[in-house]
Amino acid sequence: MLKTTISPIFSSFTGKPRTSRFIFKAFKVVLQDAPPSARRNASTNLTTLHQGPPTSAYVHLPFCRKRCHYCDFPILALGTSSSSSTKPSYVYEEGKEDDPRITNYVNLLVREIKATSTDFDARPSLETVFFGGGTPSLVPPKLVSLVLETLSSSFGLSPDAEISMEMDPGTFGAQKLKELMELGVNRVSLGVQAFQDELLKACGRAHGVSEVYEAIKLVKDCGVKNWSMDLISSLPHQSLDMWEESLRLAIESQPNHVSVYDLQVEQGTKFGNLYTPGQSPLPSETQSAEFYKTASSMLRGAGYEHYEVSSYSRDGFKCRHNLIYWKNKPFYAFGLGSASYVGGLRFSRPRRLKEYTSYVADLEKGAANWCGNGDVNLKDVATDIIMLSFRTSKGLEVKDFGEAFGSEVVKSICRVYEPYVESGHIVCLDDMRREVLSGEFKTLVANDEVKIEDHVRYLRLSDPDGFLLSNELISLAFNVIAS
Amino acid sequence: MGSMYRASKTLKSSRQAFSFLFNSLKSNRRDPLCIGLYQTYDFSSDSRQSSREPAIDLTQFPSEKIRNFSIIAHIDHGKSTLADRLMELTGTIKKGLGQPQYLDKLQVERERGITVKAQTATMFYENIVKDQEASGFLLNLIDTPGHVDFSYEVSRSLSACQGALLVVDAAQGVQAQTVANFYLAFESNLTIVPVINKIDQPTADPDRVKAQLKSMFDLDTDDCLLVSAKTGLGLEHVLPAVIERIPPPSGLSDSPLRMLLFDSFFNEYKGVICYVSVVDGMLSKGDKVSFAASGQSYEVLDVGIMHPELTSTGMLLTGQVGYIVTGMRTTKEARIGDTIYRTKTTVEPLPGFKPVRHMVFSGVYPADGSDFDALDHAMEKLTCNDASVSVAKETSTALGMGFRCGFLGLLHMDVFHQRLEQEYGTQVISTIPTVPYTFEYSDGSKLQVQNPAALPSSPKYRVTASWEPTVIATIILPSEFVGGVINLCSDRRGQQLEYTFIDAQRVFLKYQLPLREIVVDFYDELKSITSGYASFDYEDAEYQKSDLVKVDILLNGQAVDALASIVHSQKAYRVGKVLVEKLKSFIDRQMFEVMIQAAIGSKIIARDTISAMRKNVLAKCYGGDITRKKKLLEKQKEGKKRMKRVGSVDIPHEAFQQILKVS
Repeated sequence: MLKTTISPIFSSFTGKPRTSRFIFKAFKVVLQDAPPSARRNASTNLTTLHQGPPTSAYVHLPFCRKRCHYCDFPILALGTSSSSSTKPSYVYEEGKEDDPRITNYVNLLVREIKATSTDFDARPSLETVFFGGGTPSLVPPKLVSLVLETLSSSFGLSPDAEISMEMDPGTFGAQKLKELMELGVNRVSLGVQAFQDELLKACGRAHGVSEVYEAIKLVKDCGVKNWSMDLISSLPHQSLDMWEESLRLAIESQPNHVSVYDLQVEQGTKFGNLYTPGQSPLPSETQSAEFYKTASSMLRGAGYEHYEVSSYSRDGFKCRHNLIYWKNKPFYAFGLGSASYVGGLRFSRPRRLKEYTSYVADLEKGAANWCGNGDVNLKDVATDIIMLSFRTSKGLEVKDFGEAFGSEVVKSICRVYEPYVESGHIVCLDDMRREVLSGEFKTLVANDEVKIEDHVRYLRLSDPDGFLLSNELISLAFNVIAS
Repeated sequence: MGSMYRASKTLKSSRQAFSFLFNSLKSNRRDPLCIGLYQTYDFSSDSRQSSREPAIDLTQFPSEKIRNFSIIAHIDHGKSTLADRLMELTGTIKKGLGQPQYLDKLQVERERGITVKAQTATMFYENIVKDQEASGFLLNLIDTPGHVDFSYEVSRSLSACQGALLVVDAAQGVQAQTVANFYLAFESNLTIVPVINKIDQPTADPDRVKAQLKSMFDLDTDDCLLVSAKTGLGLEHVLPAVIERIPPPSGLSDSPLRMLLFDSFFNEYKGVICYVSVVDGMLSKGDKVSFAASGQSYEVLDVGIMHPELTSTGMLLTGQVGYIVTGMRTTKEARIGDTIYRTKTTVEPLPGFKPVRHMVFSGVYPADGSDFDALDHAMEKLTCNDASVSVAKETSTALGMGFRCGFLGLLHMDVFHQRLEQEYGTQVISTIPTVPYTFEYSDGSKLQVQNPAALPSSPKYRVTASWEPTVIATIILPSEFVGGVINLCSDRRGQQLEYTFIDAQRVFLKYQLPLREIVVDFYDELKSITSGYASFDYEDAEYQKSDLVKVDILLNGQAVDALASIVHSQKAYRVGKVLVEKLKSFIDRQMFEVMIQAAIGSKIIARDTISAMRKNVLAKCYGGDITRKKKLLEKQKEGKKRMKRVGSVDIPHEAFQQILKVS
């Protein structure tokens, strides 16, 4: 029965950004917190959100001194520098950074951006730019400037755009940081990962704790207000004491944003070869869960809002760029291995430099497509929205979801989630974000007459219990969508 | 050992035991799926006659020129090989042509070296008997299943015979099935011709076997034929002995037609083929016949003999054994043991068979949980050809839609599952086999239970009494293992009835055991205790009063119907504990703590918990690249699809398979 109800809604449509982008104008949903550019298209709803022109761009700068033991990103390791300095080779020295590999890559990147021609009716300026890596802070400011200029001339760059850059301790000095800020970089994401030398060494980081303190001081001295600190939990040999120490020191250094990632042991990485998740020297599942809970309670206790499964911020310092991802809004992506989401299609660029180089050449010749091919499958859109919105503390907007995909789907999801509302893994909220208690929720679900959306506005995962089991909970909803 | 309907026999690991014998996997002629073969087989009956052989004139064979006999033996004592040799000897099949074990037509029979369905072959034999002139004899060899799980097949085959060759391995001597089969034949008043086979083996000891036959069955040692079916040694004496010692059928040729229906099978082209033995009178093609039990009437469209393929003869005379085709659609219309007579005549029905008694029940469910239609289709095809299985649809909350099947015994069940998988390509999960129990309540009502889940855990009225079926088990074993076997039997609540020495080395044990106790792993245990040297057989005995309880398995308080069992109260704790442990090892951590309990009514007798999953969290979707994470979630979703949900607990389908298999 459910199947027949959904099937007309979950059909495919061709997602070419160039043609009729607002097919679903019939659904009128106003996204209250949409950025100004999107607000002009007030008739978008969840199924068409990705159809508009992107106002965000991810730029991949893949260079690293060396590969960290857990990393499986597309990076280019530069190796030990030829510096005759007695300092360790990875330690930053001003002026020693004109590596031709970087220059060549940035030139290629600039060509890619230029070859990306859009024909959206509206041409809103970019509101967020995110330099990710690799270690973007290894790239000389003048090359960063070139990238920003190119973006600006291709798409426009809003004057109040958030421009973030990932920076690693030991790869920048005061002068470089100042230059970058002058270019417009206004948000720094500092890859600290841990406050213990032995842990940093064990995971192959190219810096120690002293570089961490140095970097924090630099960021603060240069007046970067909007900065974030990255930490990794569940590292090999990491104890709860160590983790608490890292969190404490992180809080003491007062970033306005903290990202906490649970170590993922990926195949093909050094860790993947050495370790099995849940087994020594990696912490057990229970310890790992404890780390997550500790982070949540300590950071929230220090005034940070746990607004996304791995992100914490102080008031007004959420990462605007990342929020684009969680809201399933479109974004450009440029550079090696980067993934874009334009016109409802996700597209990943080649992960190897050689293939990426020919891709850019093809793009220039018009022989390649920069946003991917194929049809947009509405079931995919639905699962994307579920998966992404459940990452956030705001949760899934049940009403919008129901309008986009049908009330029956909402009902089915609620039915599946009922035991988890009771167990406290999932929280239901009304219009005013007041909690709808499990007894009431049960009654609503049981009553066939009731439209859940009239009573429940949001479903979200609880913090930390729901967040900790997000894969399980999300795949339950996937099951509903698939059936 | 009186019952002809000794239903079952547990031989769980018969696969290992027999598979080395013959692995010939050639096509199965009786399988309706082998269309190509079927056609040859069907057309050959007429074409062969016209081109190469003169049409068989059965009128040359009055009763006194007919011998109907079967071969009975313990498994692997050489019954099928002897049958092959006799057919070669009479030119019924050509030597070296065709496949060994000619009469074993089912794939499962060849693989296991066992006979499941009885077959029949008519042979013509020229012989000079004492002072009589050289004259042709018509010999009907009615093959029987060696295994006593199929003893109802043995019985029905024997009822069409006047004598039997009792084949005994010269080295192994008398075994449990030798005893069982001997008594079946003896009680059918058959003349028994003892044949000591495999005398070419270095370990053969015919004198010892003769002594055993004498002491156990009071058979005359001088009457024993010594042969090797393998080398052909002594074979020439077999058929003369059949003709001399076994009496001809004693029917009356002048009386109205009476035939015994002793087997049937389904042929996709001809419909049901009925195997009949003409007791009195004669039958011709075109005759109208009626079936006494079913009351149905049919026209005889074809009649003939199995030579060994179906060969039309246009008629069957008194004492002869053959087939008829009547256009009947399903074997359900052909009740084995029914009397067939000429329509519009009045005859006294022959003593028929009692209906088959199903002693082992098990639920059969599609393995992947969804494909019920395919299973339904396969079950229908298979039961169309095997009327000995009872089938009823049932629904399990844990396993979905399926069937409750009644079997004659464990081997029968095993063979049925194997045929489902081999011949119809259907993967199944079967629940723990159970036996039929009777419960009586304080209000005087009685309940027959074939599925433990159907027994109320908290009944309205108190259970005042319960009964379970028992068997009389025969075990023959080398004396050095007697201690272990006695321990095993007493652990299985057995009562010793007899303990005798067959000879200096071998012991004959007789026990009354609850059927439930031997249904699952008794034979495996027995084999391991005796290093495989014990033979075992059993026959149904009466129900006995017993202290039975239902053990429920609960997940977070909710009963899992497919795992419920009925056991003796003394064993309940052990059974409960084992099931709880097994379940724990197969269920993954869930979002909640999962409590596994075994309970009798509201009393918890074993428990364990699976602690809740602690962490299963999305990692970062770096740079907005969500594709990999999504794949992972899709995979996780697919995993959930394969789960069976009981309450809020997900149980992998594989877990059921494992738990039910090893129990």
